[in-house]
Amino acid sequence: MNEIRNVNVQNMIKSYLKDVKKALPDWLKEKKEHKEILTDLEEHIWQKASELSGNNEPTEESVKLAIEQMGKPETIAKEYKRRGEPKVYITKEMWPVYIKVLCIVFAVIFGLQILGLIISALTELVNFWDMIGGLIAGIQNGLLFSFTIVTIIFVVLSMEGYFPEDFQSKKDQKKQRELIELAAEEGLPISRTGKLMKPFIKPIGEIIGGGIAIIFGLIFLIQPFPAVIFFPEFLLLLRGFGLIWLIEGCLNISRGIIGNHHPEKHQVIHGFLILVKLSAVPLLIILMNQPEIFPIYSEMWVPVGIPVELYDTYRGIVAVVIVIVCLTTLEDFYRIFKLQKYKY
Amino acid sequence: MIKKVKGLDPEFKEYASKVESEINRGISTICILSIINGSPENGIHGYQISKDLEEQTNYMLIIEEGTLYPLLRKLEEDGLIKSYREEGGRRRKYYSLTTYGKKVFNYLSGFYSKLIEAIGPLFDVNVNLNQDRYLFCPMCANKIKLTNTELKFCDACGYNLENDLSTRGLKNE
Repeated sequence: MNEIRNVNVQNMIKSYLKDVKKALPDWLKEKKEHKEILTDLEEHIWQKASELSGNNEPTEESVKLAIEQMGKPETIAKEYKRRGEPKVYITKEMWPVYIKVLCIVFAVIFGLQILGLIISALTELVNFWDMIGGLIAGIQNGLLFSFTIVTIIFVVLSMEGYFPEDFQSKKDQKKQRELIELAAEEGLPISRTGKLMKPFIKPIGEIIGGGIAIIFGLIFLIQPFPAVIFFPEFLLLLRGFGLIWLIEGCLNISRGIIGNHHPEKHQVIHGFLILVKLSAVPLLIILMNQPEIFPIYSEMWVPVGIPVELYDTYRGIVAVVIVIVCLTTLEDFYRIFKLQKYKY
Repeated sequence: MIKKVKGLDPEFKEYASKVESEINRGISTICILSIINGSPENGIHGYQISKDLEEQTNYMLIIEEGTLYPLLRKLEEDGLIKSYREEGGRRRKYYSLTTYGKKVFNYLSGFYSKLIEAIGPLFDVNVNLNQDRYLFCPMCANKIKLTNTELKFCDACGYNLENDLSTRGLKNE
């Protein structure tokens, strides 16, 4: 009798877990994890049922009550689907993939329409304007249709709680895990949730860029060219700019050496870079107000400065340069802000 | 709560039950974090969390027990909690807070405490916060334990707490 009861109890739990499994979203069913979820639920039901039956052998009644208190399989599944940050019906996580898919589909439609146009132009005697009209109508209908279909698919995927990584093959997922492990060993940026973050700098690029800035900085500082072909005041300003480039180059190289580590150090360096870049502004203002020292030559290597009638144009150009220098600091401010998310 | 009551107007019951679930959703997350926070060092398993949740909230905050696991999975995915499965035996999964989870919990706990203190009068309820043991950051409401002897700044928003501590005679040098 007891055995029959045990079988009944086990069947009740099995049937409930089967219903939960059926209701779970597909992205979860494809992962080994779903087995663990079912194990946890089963363990929970057994414990609850034992407790309800007074810490004795679970009875049919106690198991039934325990299952009731677990909630409907659909409710549990709904909680698993509640995933991602909503963004206009498509989750924030799926949004970049949605845009990418739309762009690819649009590009394919556009390409096919153009191909169709070329083929019809070569094979049929169609009026030019009719062809253009057909092309525009074709593109318009194609885009509208594909936009609708792609959007519906992504809304459904978002409602089911899919994330982009759920579409990766097991091989790609393994590769990704290995990459993350490697990144962790090398101290590369990994998000709080264990995902590989986009590197915030390209070290080689920073080192090369910094090296070039140092070379130019040194040339301006040492001035290995005949001094007579420049006004002395201009040479002095050139040294100032050389010093700025030299410091900027050194700071960029140090960022390259630090690499994708220590975001807080990068933030400090960006702070210095802002100061260094802005220190060029007073020098540019001096240059703007002294058009007569700018090296314009009347004859062979004899500097005469900017002609008086071009003073306004010259000042306008230097003012634009000042604005550009100030605008380049915005990039540093943006990077300081962006690096904040790498600090946790 | 209302779901259990029989013989009610279905429209009223459905509406009240819906709002009740919405209120419970956010609160249960904070309560679960609180239970995990108060758990032993080796963590706490799912069944115990659900049991503690019922008992410690005097059977007022009841969630469908099966929905606890998706919630725990989400908290783990968000990096607030970590888990391990016990070797052998019942192979239960034990959960504990991560450092980040502790930071988030302290903030949410402070915010929630200040919130119920503030909305208390709306429901003719008097809430007394335990200000002897905790300081609530005046800037962000983060809940800060006063046992921390190196306390100078709020660890959530960086607010300088020295003035607030000195007015309470607790200035840390």
